[in-house]
Amino acid sequence: MTSPLIDVAGLQTYFPVRKGLLRRVVGAVRAVDGVSFSIQKGRTLGLVGESGCGKTTVGRSLLRLVEPTGGSVRFDGRDVLAAGGAEMRGLRRRMQIVFQDPYGSLNPRMKVRAILEEGLVIHRLGSAAERLERMTRALARTGLTAAALDRYPHEFSGGQRQRIAIARAIVIEPDFLVLDEPISALDVSIQAQVVNLLVELREQLGLTYLFISHDLSVVEYVSDDVAVMYLGRIVEQAPATRLYAEPLHPYTLALFSAVPSVEPDRRRRRIVLTGDVPSPARPPAGCRFHPRCPLAEQVCRQAEPPATVVDGHAVHCHVAAREVEQAGGDAVAAAARMAVLMAANGSAVAMPT
Amino acid sequence: MTDSQSRHQSRGFWAEAWARFRRKPLAMAALVFVTLLAAVALLAPAIAGTKPVLCRYKGRIYAPCLGYFDRRLEPTIFAKDRFRGTYPKNLAEKDPDSWAIWPLVFQDPHRAVRENEWPGRPANPAKDEGRPNRINLFGTDQYGVDVFAKMVHGTTIALLVGVVSMGLAGTIGIIVGAVGGYFGGWVDMLTSRVTEIVMCVPTLVLILAVIAIVEKPTIWKTMAIIGATGWTGIARLTRGEFLRLRQSEFVTAARATGAGPVRIMLRHILPNALAPVLVPITFGIASAILTESSLSFLGFGPPPPAASWGSLLNDARSNLSMWWLVVFPGVAIFLTVLAYNLIGEGLQEVTDPRLREARK
Repeated sequence: MTSPLIDVAGLQTYFPVRKGLLRRVVGAVRAVDGVSFSIQKGRTLGLVGESGCGKTTVGRSLLRLVEPTGGSVRFDGRDVLAAGGAEMRGLRRRMQIVFQDPYGSLNPRMKVRAILEEGLVIHRLGSAAERLERMTRALARTGLTAAALDRYPHEFSGGQRQRIAIARAIVIEPDFLVLDEPISALDVSIQAQVVNLLVELREQLGLTYLFISHDLSVVEYVSDDVAVMYLGRIVEQAPATRLYAEPLHPYTLALFSAVPSVEPDRRRRRIVLTGDVPSPARPPAGCRFHPRCPLAEQVCRQAEPPATVVDGHAVHCHVAAREVEQAGGDAVAAAARMAVLMAANGSAVAMPT
Repeated sequence: MTDSQSRHQSRGFWAEAWARFRRKPLAMAALVFVTLLAAVALLAPAIAGTKPVLCRYKGRIYAPCLGYFDRRLEPTIFAKDRFRGTYPKNLAEKDPDSWAIWPLVFQDPHRAVRENEWPGRPANPAKDEGRPNRINLFGTDQYGVDVFAKMVHGTTIALLVGVVSMGLAGTIGIIVGAVGGYFGGWVDMLTSRVTEIVMCVPTLVLILAVIAIVEKPTIWKTMAIIGATGWTGIARLTRGEFLRLRQSEFVTAARATGAGPVRIMLRHILPNALAPVLVPITFGIASAILTESSLSFLGFGPPPPAASWGSLLNDARSNLSMWWLVVFPGVAIFLTVLAYNLIGEGLQEVTDPRLREARK
């Protein structure tokens, strides 16, 4: 097996909480608290979770747009977190990001030409003529013409702006893209176009993606592997087809039950989680999901669940671990049992049809 | 892309702002007024003076009027030939073939015009005799010096005070505010405290103290002090804008591209922060003009022969019956300050999106 393009181990990003006149640090918001994953070249990892679970912070920590507190990030074998100024600039050429809000991520005072050219200038890529050619090519790849170069961002629609943001990311020919909710700010009618564009670009340019989203169906469509995050941790991670076919973690099950179905006849039981997400400044002891988990037991309140791995499908849950063991390592059977348990114990209500 | 789109002219933020500014009659009138003042300041020697704008003397062409800008620019040949500053008669007597283009108004800002200095014209009236008339448009002061000429030549000071002091204040304020706002932490702590300390310095008192101490008080030193104390508001505003914008996603995007702090500050944040900062700079120009006028009124203006509008007001103090010494400079100061305030307000309205929305 080849070494992964990006390898994240035990990543932690805490934001200090300051109080008082002297702004002393009185605590920390643990936005990301021990996240590990790796992505092979050319593959896509989908990162899902509800708002505030830290998935955006993971993406930004990888590029050191926020400074991680601990853990390690290795990109193509190089330690990203230890990289100095010049080395980091070199890495930045190879790792790019597309943000959620194309209205906020493009400088309103810069023409598209200046926006696209900046990366080429910073990384000293090509002469003026070559730069123009690269910019035209990047725009063409994202479905825009060179006429866009002499316009300002406010002259474009949201979908076109996101295409410009994607063009900015790919113009310096990176290997890895963090896609931070790239379609959630767009009109539903545009979302599919942009998703398809991203998939096309991945095939054409051999890109590797970290696709962050709360939209489960889009993640399923785009990703090879999916990781589910809850309160700064990854609770379940598996190849996309398997995660969707056999979810093991109670949180994943609850998430899936909230996805609206396109088959109105199919009656589904929706698992409603009670309570709010606890504050990441004071995460609960034991399993972080236990205050809201319908299956929580004594052990969940005390011990953090270790990873249970059934051929590539990792889950952090005491109950799921037991079910997997009882099913003799048969993830499909264990997943079925988990679904039954959730339906029986959860404060489940029938989906209104 | 449709045809109409490709033909349309792409307008940036400032082009849009200018288009909106042009539709504001008051702000535009103010801008025209200030432009006019700048023209007057630049062409002062050609508008009022006793030295020819251009003349031909002993076979060569000279521009003696430049002497009003700097004495050293006046061709030495006239001093050698003992003109003693009186050109019309001397030119005719010493070189019959000479010709000259004279300023629009034959009046000197530094001295009274004598009898027959201009053929057939009486001497300027002195004391309280010199009310406005056909020859002395705005009247004359106690010594018979033409008020119009003094005011025309004082325009330079009025404009320079505003522009130079606020240029200095703007530069300091933007740099201090940008550094504090962008880097935050202890840097911000330091710059904010320094700003607050400078804010406590009473400008007028400091200027009076400096003028008392330094050997040669000049208008430049006054401007320097106004500028060196007047940047605090600009710094605080810039800091606020930088604090806000450094969190914006396009700045994060620039960092992801690999842009360094200087590039981000100059190319990404400053252009977005400039508009709200320009507004207090414009208001600052108005208040700097007022400060200089107050100083001159108190008698601490530029040393003679340079005369600012404020020092004309000071002359009026000794004889209040000479109303023209109060009215003309007073109105000039008032109009100029008003014009800058109107420009500032217009600028605010066309650049602040919140105000724009409110008016729609």
